Parts: sequence; C-alpha cells; structure tokens
Amino acid sequence: MRSRVFLTLVVVLAALALTACGGASFECEDEWGCATIQKGETIKVGYVGPTTGDYSAFGIDITRGAELAVAAKPEINGFAIELVVEDTQGTPEQGAAVANKLASDPRIVAIDGHTFSGSTEVAIPIYEDAGIVMVSPSATTPDLTKTSSLVFNRVAFTDEMQGEAAANYIYNTLGIRRIALMHDGGAYGQGLAVGTGEFFKALGGEVVAEEAITPGEADYSSPLAAIAAANPQLIYYGGYDADAAVLVSQMDGAGLTDAWFFGCDGTYGTQFINLAGAAAEGAYSTFVPIPESGAFTKFREDYQAAYGDEQGELSPFSPHGHDAMAVILAAIEKVAIQEGDTLYIPRKALAEAVRNTSDFSGLTGTITCSETGECAAASIIFMEVENGAWVLGPGQ
Amino acid sequence: MVETTEKRPQRRYVDIGRWVRLGMGIIVAGFALWRMWNVFFVQQEYGLDTWTRFLISGIILGSVYAVIALGYTLVYGILFMINFAHGDVMMLGAFAGYFTLEAFKGRGFLNQNAGTAALSVIAAFMVGMALSMVVALLLERIAYRPLRKAPRLVPLISAIGASLVLQNAAQLMFGAERHTYANPDIIDRSTGISFLVQGQEVLITYTGMLTLGLSLLLMVGLLLLVRKTKMGKAMRAVAQDKETAALMGINVDRIIANTFAISGILAGAAGVMWGLHMGILYHYVGFIPGLKAFTAAVLGGIGNVVGAMVGGLTLGILEAAGPAILGLPFQLKDVLAFSILVLVLIFRPTGLVGQVLADKA
Repeated sequence: MRSRVFLTLVVVLAALALTACGGASFECEDEWGCATIQKGETIKVGYVGPTTGDYSAFGIDITRGAELAVAAKPEINGFAIELVVEDTQGTPEQGAAVANKLASDPRIVAIDGHTFSGSTEVAIPIYEDAGIVMVSPSATTPDLTKTSSLVFNRVAFTDEMQGEAAANYIYNTLGIRRIALMHDGGAYGQGLAVGTGEFFKALGGEVVAEEAITPGEADYSSPLAAIAAANPQLIYYGGYDADAAVLVSQMDGAGLTDAWFFGCDGTYGTQFINLAGAAAEGAYSTFVPIPESGAFTKFREDYQAAYGDEQGELSPFSPHGHDAMAVILAAIEKVAIQEGDTLYIPRKALAEAVRNTSDFSGLTGTITCSETGECAAASIIFMEVENGAWVLGPGQ
Repeated sequence: MVETTEKRPQRRYVDIGRWVRLGMGIIVAGFALWRMWNVFFVQQEYGLDTWTRFLISGIILGSVYAVIALGYTLVYGILFMINFAHGDVMMLGAFAGYFTLEAFKGRGFLNQNAGTAALSVIAAFMVGMALSMVVALLLERIAYRPLRKAPRLVPLISAIGASLVLQNAAQLMFGAERHTYANPDIIDRSTGISFLVQGQEVLITYTGMLTLGLSLLLMVGLLLLVRKTKMGKAMRAVAQDKETAALMGINVDRIIANTFAISGILAGAAGVMWGLHMGILYHYVGFIPGLKAFTAAVLGGIGNVVGAMVGGLTLGILEAAGPAILGLPFQLKDVLAFSILVLVLIFRPTGLVGQVLADKA
C-alpha cells in the first residue's frame, strides 16, 4: 500500500515537473501529443525492414534510399535528422517487436516502412496507438489501406493493381489460357497470387492448380510435380526471389519443361538471376520503372558513390525508400513548431500533413496521396530474363 | 519375474490405454484409407508419371536425411546425447565444398574435361568431409567432453548453444545472403537421364543419382565398420557399458572422439551432396535438414544404424508423396510427417526398427 502511495506521488510530481518545463512557453494542443526535441537532440525517423537474413537485399537497398533522402535534407530548423534502422529479418513477429521498441521511443516521429506486408500489418495498430505516422516504400497488400488508419500511407503500388496488370498481360499479350498459381503462404505472396488468379478467371482464363510452398526450403520438386500433373502453360508465383530461384531451377526436373515462370515484383532483381543461373532464362517478373529525370540520375550517381553498387542491383525499391523518407521530411518541416531551443512536432498534424501530400515531386514520379493513403506514382511493366539480364518483356 | 508382480496393480490402466490407442489407430487408418481411395480412384488427379516423380524426389531427399540421421544415431547410441549441432556441422561441410568448387572454378579447372570435373567434385567432398570432421571433433572436445559426467540435460543445452554459435559464426564469415553451388557442367542440376512413364518424360538428375549412390555407399560402409571391424566392436562395447569397456582396455575417450569424427565425416558428405543436388546454400541451411534427420532417427529408432536409414527414407518419401497420397496441399507436408512420427511413437515408442546400437548395431 505504502509503495503505491509513493508511486502515485512520484507520478504526480513528474507530471508537474513536465508541465512546468514544457508548458511555460508552449502548450501542445495536438490530439495525439507532440514529440519534444531539445536542442542538440535529433529528430528520429525509423526505417524498418529485413537488413539481415534471406531478404536482406531489400532492407539494405531501401535503407540506402532513405539514407540518401536524409543526406539531401540533413536538418530541419537546425535539428539534425537521425535515421534509426531496425531489422525485422522479414518476419511479422520481429516486425511487431521492432514496432513496439520504436513506439516506446518518444523522439521517433515517423517510420519509413515497414518493408514487407506481413510485418506492416502487425505494426499498424502499434504505431496507431503511439501516434506515429508511417509511409511504406514496399508493403503492397491491398487490405493495408482498407483499415482507414490515419497513420498508414504507402508509395508502393498495391498487389491489386499489380495482379490486374499481370493477369491482363498474361492473357492478352502472352496469349496464355491455362495458369497454375504458386505462393509462399505469406500475406504478400498469397494475396497477390490468389488476386491475380481471380483477375485471370474474370478475363476468361483457367486456373488449373494452386500450391503453396514453405519458404526457405531447398527442395520444391514435389509441389512442382503436383502442379505439372495439371499441365499448366504458365506458373504465376507470388513470393520473393530466393524461393523463386529454387522453383525455376527445379521446374525442368519436375516435368514443367514447357511451362513459363511468371514472378512478381518480389522476384525482380539481379539476386534472382545470380541464384537461379541458367534456369532463370525466360522467367518473367513485374517491375516498376522509375521515370528518367535529373533528380533520378543524380540519385543513381550518389548511390554509386556512397555504396559502390549500381542502383537497382539489390532491389528495385531504393527510390521508393527515398520518396517515403522525402515525403515524411517535407511533412515534418511543414508542421514543426520551434519555441526557443525546443522543437515540437505535433503527431496528428504530421499524419494529416503526410496524408495531404499532393504534387510532391519524388523520384518515382509526382506523388499525391489518396484519402486512404495510397501515394503510388509509378506505372507497372513486365520484364523477362534474356541472356542473364532483365529486359523488357514482349508486346509493351 | 519379480518385476511383473510389482507392476500388476497398474495393469488395468495399461489396458485402457491400449484400447484408446487401438481406437485412435482405427480412426486414423480409416481416414487415411478414405483419402487414399479418393485420390487413387475417384479424382485420379496424378498419373503414374507424377507418382514416379514424387517417389524419386522422396528417395533422394530421404537418402540425404538418412546420412545425416546416422550421425545423430551414432552419437546417441554411445553417449545417449542428442547432438543438436549436427545439422550445422553439415552446413559447414557444405560451405567447405562450396569454396573448394569456387576455387577450382576460378582457375578454370572445373570444366576443362570430365576428369578435372570429377576431380573437383571429389576434392569438394574430401574438403567438406575433412572440415566437418574437424568441427565435430572440436565440438566434442570443447562443448561435450567437459560435461560427460554432468546430468543428461546439460550436454543437450550445450549442443543447442553450439548450434547457435556455428550458425552465427557462418553468418558472420560468409554473409547472410544465399550462395549457389557451382556444379561442373557434366553434373548440372537440370541434366540427367530421362525415361518414359505413360508417355511422359521423367527425369532423374545426375546429382540425384550421385546423392543416392553415395548415400547407399556411406550407409553400407558404416554398417560394415560398426559390425565387422575392431573399432566397431569397441564402439559397441562403449555403447553397452563405458566402465566395463574401459576395464577391458578400451580407450573410451578415443572411441567417443572417433564416433564424433565419423558422424562429422557423414555430415560433411551430406552437406556437399545437399549443395550439389539442391544448389542453394546459406548459413541456416543445416537447421531444417538437421531437424528432419533427427526426426528420421527417432522414427527409425534412435541409436540404431539400420533404423536411421529406414527412418530417413520413410520420412523423405512421406514428405515428397504423403500430401499427394492423402490429397492434401503440399504446405502441410511437415504437419503430415510429424503426425506420422507421433503415431509411430504411440504404437512403437522405440521407433520402427527399435533402438539398440549396442546389441546389433
């Protein structure tokens, strides 16, 4: 009992002390409260994604895009921006853990992320509670923006858009009528593959088989043989490059010599070709081209100078990582209030400012956010592996 | 005789358990038969060619499981300890083979002619097996020997720790990204011998044949070693009774070290086979096969060399064909495999073959 009284006393005193310091000059009227940054402290913006593990190429690449955006705008009102990178290894479990960690840091004002849809899905409610706005560069599951959450926005195009475009391309341009669906059972892969199948059926095509694989394994010859029994013309795969590479390597042995492999934006990148080698020839994937512009040329040069790799080698998403961060920084600049040596960032105003982004010129195009937080600017094209390199697929 | 009279009061309880088990068995068997009836006679989704493919990939996968399982079973047979780091020893062997092949490839030696290709592969196996042997010996010396006298759970924890250390060390040394095995062109992963089944081409890859052949060779070799040689006799003696074996003049420490060396060699061979056949390699690659091989060892009867082989092949075929036999999606293959494991252990707690390294090997 006595300890509880003591605790209450401490809390009351602390609250008094806080209002005494902060309230003297500035009253935070934001519904979600304000992030308070003292002089010499940094404004923290998080990036969350897989920076180690199977899918590290995505995380590392997008981190670089975000870093370059911070380098272009290193401070706001004299307060330095700090990019806090947290690793999820691509799993939802780790995504939730990291989201909780970031949400407990009062100086985190916004998140560039999360990277994968599964991890994003679990993180949205956590950031919603904490009033932290998110702009995801690459979480593409359609449902994510259907929760009418004010905190979640994305500059990636959705799986719905991709599925419809892919079904159209496969049916009309490639002239395929019988497809099989495969996916890795994840939120992104399954949603995309099943969605594409729906669009394909609506066009009049036939989905002859569907199998899910367990990601991270080395032998998929059995599910492939089961697919082969249905004799599809093409396999549409929803998932990521590492597993897709194993699949294409084992298709011939499973009796799918004549079937085509059609991946998604998760299977695009040189990693796929490196892993699958000669088996990658003739495989398709989705790609979001970045329109040529002076800013993009400079971005590519900076990327090469800073990291030594060619931009686009690891994943296609570094410009998205950049744009997500640029949108966030522009919004912070708009809403930040400086009082003496202290910077206040009202959280709800920040979320609204991000949502109201319009005609923002980013690398991926002119970014305008819809009421639900869809801010994608880019269009979709389909690529094919030819002689060990990705080239534009036929008929586009 | 005395024991039976003492246990008599519990007799009724045991009987009930038996009836429950019998009932459960009938239900499960009935369900399985119904699904199989559906798959084979009603739906007829898969032709004979597809079943052949399932069987081929199952036997190849199973033979790798069997070779890894032998390592678990040998160590368990002698020390009654589960060496959970065994899968990671395999992973390191696979990496050693990978770097050997890369080195040959870098010098253009790999594809000069069939002879150099064969030499490169043999060298990869040698380096892989040697490295795995050294790692297994070090593990025994550092992580297990100091705990020989400790309660049984302690070395188990030490093994899990060793597994984590090896995995993370490999991640630090080789990076987290995946590597692709550089096979010589003559055993490219997509080439092999194909034959016709019901007018459909069914392919057995050369790497698959290599894996199967080498696995069988290793299994027979190990059986001969344990049953026919002096060292095998000493191993069986140590497995039966360490103190008595020591009194008979057997150097127990050396025999245990030898056992680890053999299990390491098997793991290294399995690792290189895995790399050549599956092609994809990263620091975590030993974990799932290790777990599956451990399951295989338990399925066959842990501590029993023949059991490990039977268990490995059973598990491989179950994984490759089981979901198709029961008309389930392939995502459920692990659920199925482990359900079968549970069922087998309910009816035969000592595994399919029984657990006796000491008596029969």
